[in-house]
Amino acid sequence: MYGVLGPNGAGKTTFLRMLFGLIRPDHGTLEVFGRSWRRHGVNSLAGVAGFIESPKFYPGLTGRRNLQLLAGLDGADAASRVGEVLDVVGLTDRQRDKVRGYSFGMRQRLGVASALLRDPQLLVLDEPANGLDPAGIRDMRALIRRLADTGLTVLLSSHDMAEVEHICDNVTIMRSGSVVHHGSIVALREQAPEQAHRITTTEDIRTEELARARGLEVSGVNDGLAIRGPQKDVDALVADIVDAGIALRGLTRDETPLEALFFMLTESAPASPTANLDAPAGARR
Amino acid sequence: MSATTAVPTGTPTVRRRPGTATVLRGEVAKLAAQARSRALIIGAVVVPIAVVLIFNTQLPPKDTIYGRHIHASGYAVPLFVLAFVHQWVLPLLAALVAGDIFANEDQHGTWKTILTRSVSRTQVFWAKTLTAAGFNLLVLALFATSTITTSLLVVGTQPLPGLSGQLIPGGSALPIVIASWATAVAPVLGFTALAILLSVTTRNPTIGVAAPVVLGMVMQLLSSLGGLNKARQLLLTTPFEAWHGLLTQHPFHAPIVTGALVSAGWLVVCLAFAYFHLRRRDITGG
Repeated sequence: MYGVLGPNGAGKTTFLRMLFGLIRPDHGTLEVFGRSWRRHGVNSLAGVAGFIESPKFYPGLTGRRNLQLLAGLDGADAASRVGEVLDVVGLTDRQRDKVRGYSFGMRQRLGVASALLRDPQLLVLDEPANGLDPAGIRDMRALIRRLADTGLTVLLSSHDMAEVEHICDNVTIMRSGSVVHHGSIVALREQAPEQAHRITTTEDIRTEELARARGLEVSGVNDGLAIRGPQKDVDALVADIVDAGIALRGLTRDETPLEALFFMLTESAPASPTANLDAPAGARR
Repeated sequence: MSATTAVPTGTPTVRRRPGTATVLRGEVAKLAAQARSRALIIGAVVVPIAVVLIFNTQLPPKDTIYGRHIHASGYAVPLFVLAFVHQWVLPLLAALVAGDIFANEDQHGTWKTILTRSVSRTQVFWAKTLTAAGFNLLVLALFATSTITTSLLVVGTQPLPGLSGQLIPGGSALPIVIASWATAVAPVLGFTALAILLSVTTRNPTIGVAAPVVLGMVMQLLSSLGGLNKARQLLLTTPFEAWHGLLTQHPFHAPIVTGALVSAGWLVVCLAFAYFHLRRRDITGG
């Protein structure tokens, strides 16, 4: 599982559009499995499938008919896989319904099914959980994880660090069209700052003093204090607050360490167009 | 549930891609699934029947070519209808599918769905173009057949008055009437190409359908202006009148040949622009 992460406007979708040959790069070349659009045309998509932004289908046709039409555009044995991929994404029961009656989540799953028709080695999904309700997000993540467990390489584009952190093994972080980080999630975690907490008490000034005495980073926020530091020191601070007779009104986890790092990378780091782009396995761009 | 996708093992082999005929079948299937195309097919058969029946009960419209003869000969009625429909009905019939077939993908946001498969833009372009052209020829053939058949059944097979005043016997009139309708094939294909160009470039089905009709009317207006004899021949509406030469005492075919060449010119230029526009455009919507 490979994540391409970045805030809106970072260039993730533009990158994927170039990958699929929907737009042409101003300069440079983009290769997938050693093939580029410039030299190989549509053959550069051999072994690659996916969707960009929300997948779109012909609303007046059934889910199955849409897949049959797309299978015709894939050639080979794609037509024989229609039933199988509908089963994979859990749409067998609704395959005879017109797509205009599908929920957003069902269309996303149909998008995954249409990609699987091509029997890809690299599955490219652009923000597949975007617009889904919590149950839809859970189901989509489970589906992606299941597909990845079959050995399929999944390239997941997202602006949600938590989503990528949950399901990806490696990540490229983009900012303003350039790569600002590339590596494994494990390596990224090692660079991440400590967990941030938000604490609300009856006496913020004294609490801030206690936090600083523990060596924690403290900053004031609208409602209480934001503190950052090792978990054991935060736990000790809570005990200090209670011992000092201060009423603790709230203690919540703020952004995760990886989210904090993501914001640091994408909001403050200078873009590095020369970032290392060695992909780990499966696809090489 | 089960997934049977393969573990990546190096560079995937390029599988046999579908041919343009396969893409064409897909386009035909999409068109067949549209209520509008089915309605057009039915309309091309039913509407001429209604028109012929209505005109058979009305006073003959004497200000239109063959209008005064529609009660006298069943062969005159299809020529009268042809003279009427070329003004805007045939451009509209040509544009209804052709003006929508590309822009429809923009409307549904499905360009990215079909262009991320194993077919090239060239294949998609020709499949859509052939589908639109084939459909329009089918509609024209049904329209003509329905008009001629109904006219002969309702009015009869009396001799047809020629444009030089001669009488054309029933046996000779039918091939001439069919040939007259056949001359509409070239300009209909020209309007099909114009609608395709507008469909591709504007990405708007409404413009793709309406603009060829409006342009056809503008051409009609221009052709009625004096002093434009040379330019008139280059208009796409002029070939619709080329059949007049078939109805004279000594038939002449030069307008048909010129009309076919002009229509072919429109077709080539419009399709070339449309093709290169589609090839080069960035697919960013949807």
